[in-house]
Amino acid sequence: MSIGARFPKSDGAAKADGSGVYADDIALPRMLHAKILRSPHAHARVRAIDVSAAEAFPGVVATLVGAELPAKYGVIPWTQDENALAVEKVRHVGDAVACVAALDERTAEDALRLIRVDYEVLPAVLTPEDALEHPEIKVNEKAKVGNITKHVNLQFGDVDAAVAEAAAVAHETYRYAGSTHVPIEPHCAVGRMDPDGNLTVWSSTQIPHYVQRELSRVLGVPQSKVRVIQPLLGGAFGGKSDPFALEFCVAKLSMKTGRPVKILYTREEVFYAHRGRHPMKMDVTVALDGDGRISAVDNKILIDGGAYASFGLVTAYYAGQLLTGPYRFGTYRFDSYRMYTNKPPCGPKRGHGSVQPRFALEVALDEAAGKLGIDPVEVRRRNFIGEFVETVNGQKITSNGFLKCLELVEKASGWKERHGKLGRGRGLGVAGSMYISGTAYPVYPNEMPQSGVLVKLDRSGRVVIYSGASDIGQGVNTLLCQIAAEEMHCDPREVTVVAADTDLTPVDMGAYSSRVTFMVGLAAREACQKLSAKLRAAGGETFAEACQRAEAAEGAPLAATGGYRTQKLGGDYRGGTIGASPAYSFTAHVAEVSVDEETGIWKVERIWAAHDCGKALNPTLVEGQIEGSVYMGAAEAQMEEMVYNEKGLLFGPSLLDYRIPTSLDTPDLDSYIVESNDPGGPYGAKEAGEGPLHPAIPAIANALHDACGIRIRELPFYPQRILKLLRERDGRTEERAAS
Amino acid sequence: MRPSGLIHLFVNGEQHALAVPAQRTLLEALRYDLGLTGSKQGCDKGDCGACTVLARARGTTGRGEAILSCITLAHDAQDLEITTIEGLSGPEGLDPVQRAFADCGALQCGFCQPGMMLSARALLDKNPSPTLPQIQDALSGNLCRCTGYTKIYEAVQVAAGLRAPAQRAPVQSERAAASDSKAQAVKEIVP
Amino acid sequence: MMTLPDLSVLHPASVAEAVEALRANPGARLLAGGTDIVPNLKYGMYETRQLVALRGLSGELRYLREDASGDLRLGALCSIDELAGSAVVQARLPALAEACGQIAGPQLRRMGTLGGNLCLDTRCVYINQSYFWRSALGFCLKKDGTVCHVVAGGQRCVAAASNDTAPVLLTLDATVRTVSPRGERWMPLREFYVADGIHNTVLEPDELLTEVRIPAAATRRKQAFAKLRTRAAIDFPAMNLAVALELDGNALKSVSLAVSALAARPALIKGLEDLHGRPADTRLAEELGRRAHKQCKPLTNIGVDPEWRRDILPVLVRRTVLRALG
Repeated sequence: MSIGARFPKSDGAAKADGSGVYADDIALPRMLHAKILRSPHAHARVRAIDVSAAEAFPGVVATLVGAELPAKYGVIPWTQDENALAVEKVRHVGDAVACVAALDERTAEDALRLIRVDYEVLPAVLTPEDALEHPEIKVNEKAKVGNITKHVNLQFGDVDAAVAEAAAVAHETYRYAGSTHVPIEPHCAVGRMDPDGNLTVWSSTQIPHYVQRELSRVLGVPQSKVRVIQPLLGGAFGGKSDPFALEFCVAKLSMKTGRPVKILYTREEVFYAHRGRHPMKMDVTVALDGDGRISAVDNKILIDGGAYASFGLVTAYYAGQLLTGPYRFGTYRFDSYRMYTNKPPCGPKRGHGSVQPRFALEVALDEAAGKLGIDPVEVRRRNFIGEFVETVNGQKITSNGFLKCLELVEKASGWKERHGKLGRGRGLGVAGSMYISGTAYPVYPNEMPQSGVLVKLDRSGRVVIYSGASDIGQGVNTLLCQIAAEEMHCDPREVTVVAADTDLTPVDMGAYSSRVTFMVGLAAREACQKLSAKLRAAGGETFAEACQRAEAAEGAPLAATGGYRTQKLGGDYRGGTIGASPAYSFTAHVAEVSVDEETGIWKVERIWAAHDCGKALNPTLVEGQIEGSVYMGAAEAQMEEMVYNEKGLLFGPSLLDYRIPTSLDTPDLDSYIVESNDPGGPYGAKEAGEGPLHPAIPAIANALHDACGIRIRELPFYPQRILKLLRERDGRTEERAAS
Repeated sequence: MRPSGLIHLFVNGEQHALAVPAQRTLLEALRYDLGLTGSKQGCDKGDCGACTVLARARGTTGRGEAILSCITLAHDAQDLEITTIEGLSGPEGLDPVQRAFADCGALQCGFCQPGMMLSARALLDKNPSPTLPQIQDALSGNLCRCTGYTKIYEAVQVAAGLRAPAQRAPVQSERAAASDSKAQAVKEIVP
Repeated sequence: MMTLPDLSVLHPASVAEAVEALRANPGARLLAGGTDIVPNLKYGMYETRQLVALRGLSGELRYLREDASGDLRLGALCSIDELAGSAVVQARLPALAEACGQIAGPQLRRMGTLGGNLCLDTRCVYINQSYFWRSALGFCLKKDGTVCHVVAGGQRCVAAASNDTAPVLLTLDATVRTVSPRGERWMPLREFYVADGIHNTVLEPDELLTEVRIPAAATRRKQAFAKLRTRAAIDFPAMNLAVALELDGNALKSVSLAVSALAARPALIKGLEDLHGRPADTRLAEELGRRAHKQCKPLTNIGVDPEWRRDILPVLVRRTVLRALG
């Protein structure tokens, strides 16, 4: 049995001995190096750009300005609002303005300083509140109304009546700070235009297919002549799932010079490329009936989007649509605005759209349950939505192992014996969540499969799988080897995966929305099953012999394809398909914290995380996804925030100032896999890469309440905020004592 | 005093003569002049540890200690013996640290891991049976964004022969009874 | 990658050669561990194009010894890591061992040197940034600009002394030896730092710090160090402090308290003499906290809430004093 085995990663050895090739490890003959000039202004009209001095600089081979790439692009077809280089305006500090290709990076950088840009500085809006108040300051002309990227207002049932009749209501405002992905590998791309008109771009992307489409459109090169190859990828987390300026620049400069061109972003540029977690302000109401059942959830959400749409249209929906499990809502309403502001664009960071409202919901649920004196684990158990049910907003939940997840973390953490009993400064908190296993809908509408896999058998017994999917470290290539081995009874180590190369591999939409295991897994299984039937019919002592016999019988080389065909899912209303997924994963966490009440300094001691991934195709990889997710959630709770000054300049765009946890700052992580064996997933599998992040943050917030009776409703949970809340608590206590 | 100009670097037991300018960092020399691209660049200024290599004074033995090649000048590294990730494995295969990182799932994207594995190797060279806090401390200058570090600790302990790889079995969830769907019956949509 | 400016590097083999190199190359800067100067050069913070590398001086300046009078002599090229791990330092200068053990991360502690830490350039959220970033800001007093972004209307740079060894060595009455073409001089560390963030030491451009000397008497003081930082590794101090106390029985004979990462000069808390003779207890520790609170004003030069840092300083002082007292 290969499925369910702890099979080592297929690219493990190449990653272990340093021989694996990442984008910046590529060096081609005659390769040029390019650098991008960036805007020092948050908002300005570009009146003129003079690159003549830069072009004349010794060692410079070519320059590039926005007018040469006028077509707008963007990952969502309805909101294409970006140019590779500024055409009329710059919209955030760090926005790309011009580009220089030279013999080496230093020369390109020196030449950038010779470019003269005539800016007309415009007033900037830096908060979503300002963006609403000042529609006359238009950040992005793509917005139809004011600075609104997208407004969604959906109601399911009579929320106001349910709130009016509730036994307990929590109504509070929660704020989620923006954070960013910080893959350790900075973005890098190499472009090469061949004399025969074929353009190849190697890029650190998690969406080769979209990059291919957008390169074709923007450069005016037929899609059939654009090849995008994703080398090994040094981390992504959603931060590499948009087309980026560097991909267009290396391609265009290669077309201009006839030479390969590389751009490697500095760490600072990665911060300006951003697409990280949206800051959100959420006014949440949770109403419980007398039995502690959720009768209403109401959420008004203001989303700070930054200068471009990116996936923002989806964000505005996800912020509401993905909240309706694992608990049943009697009624539900959300009203979300995603606003343009003059800051680096936000986008999809691990747990796209739903991490922020999940934090608010799970804390509000504790607040409301507290008013009825119901234990936090109990209120979650009581509100469990069940399996094979429809949510209040019309999403179809299939398998659901949430109760088992809850039970595991309850037991492992010693909840019953320890919650509320750990004494001052130490506490436990619980939270749950659900997440999608891919979206029912491809990001651009089409009737073709979202995932395609081609499997070829060689008479030597070597299996080659051609898959468009991006292995971004999560291990999909390894899963493909395991699926081949499972279906065809070959040695998984004799499977070669050719992946994420648009010339060689069938289309896959990319590594986003936690779609890969589910959709690519099904496509691969289908292809392998077709071949397996032929191998069984042929028979043979060894796998190679079976391949030979089958090929002889076929009279042609053996190959088969499989696809994941998009299902029609979701509610019957505008936007009802967004957030609809063929299967949902479920997670429960218990977090333990300690608080130094004199300083506000606190620590996440430990997090127990149980995740229902349907079926762990490879438990080691699933645990890795759970642990990495929990770490990242805890990091956002502890320390991560994108902070800007009054001019829209990001403070400290470096790994020294934007702090991510070291080994010494990461809590003990205990991961548990729950298998609910989803009927639709490959071998029962659902997603594991994003869902497990969500509960970490509210579990920590709820643990802080257990530890010292404070409710923190704003991220990150800086010690100064904790200390302030502790003093307010003591003030209240003193008032009570005095009265 | 030595003039700037042709320099000699001692890397993985080999001596290289290079003509690089004095502003060339050791990381650039390794990656772009010697083709040793296993050493990675994550922050380029000493904040992340991806460029970690092992260094010892020439003439001394062992593999040396972890330093950061992105803030070391190539010209200033001539008196050092450098070991990069490529120097850990040989014809006999992967180093036990590399093997354990691959086997335990400590490698996700793999980008921070050459530096991480070298820090781990240096720790085990000095302390063959480290405690968990010692491992955490020794790796605290190498940032990983994928793993939450858990499987990295495990890999270091496995490499040291202190434990076997994790084997916790998944837990099956019982089929839960579908809950009553009354509340789902009526839906009102107000766009 | 970020690129360094054109440089030339000299590799002297002795202190004498190094001093000669500094003399012959006005504007040259010293390169020891490189952990501070190399990132700063990448950020375009210095006009220097000439470096004098000190690795060749290790034989001369990497030592830890006790002299005839019982004073401890630390060579400037001792690595931070070896000081943290040294049995002698742990036994006789425990606060220094603590401070060294908490500097940056493991690799940086191996590369960094004692002299480098004492001469660490001041830091500020507005200066330790790329040239592009600083240009978008409009530059600042310390380099290329005329405005201070920390103190409105400020005319003197308040970038923060961020060395963790300095407060400890200040409380231990350390003296430092420096060498320049004009010869050698010794000065108390208390006179080494000045309140100017652009250049916060009295070192002349052609002068080299070569040794730190800690008097035997000071090594007998009860001492402790504390560092406030967001992460448990890598970070510079958001605030740090050191205390050294001499007791007579249970009565305080002398106390020295230093707090740093505030402004350009590490602060020695003044006017503590009236506490001499008081019992060395929690009340004393609290009083020292109050004094520190009164005299220390954290600024926005460091990206951790200054009001909170000031707020918790008395707690940190009290705990550190009690830890020193044992």
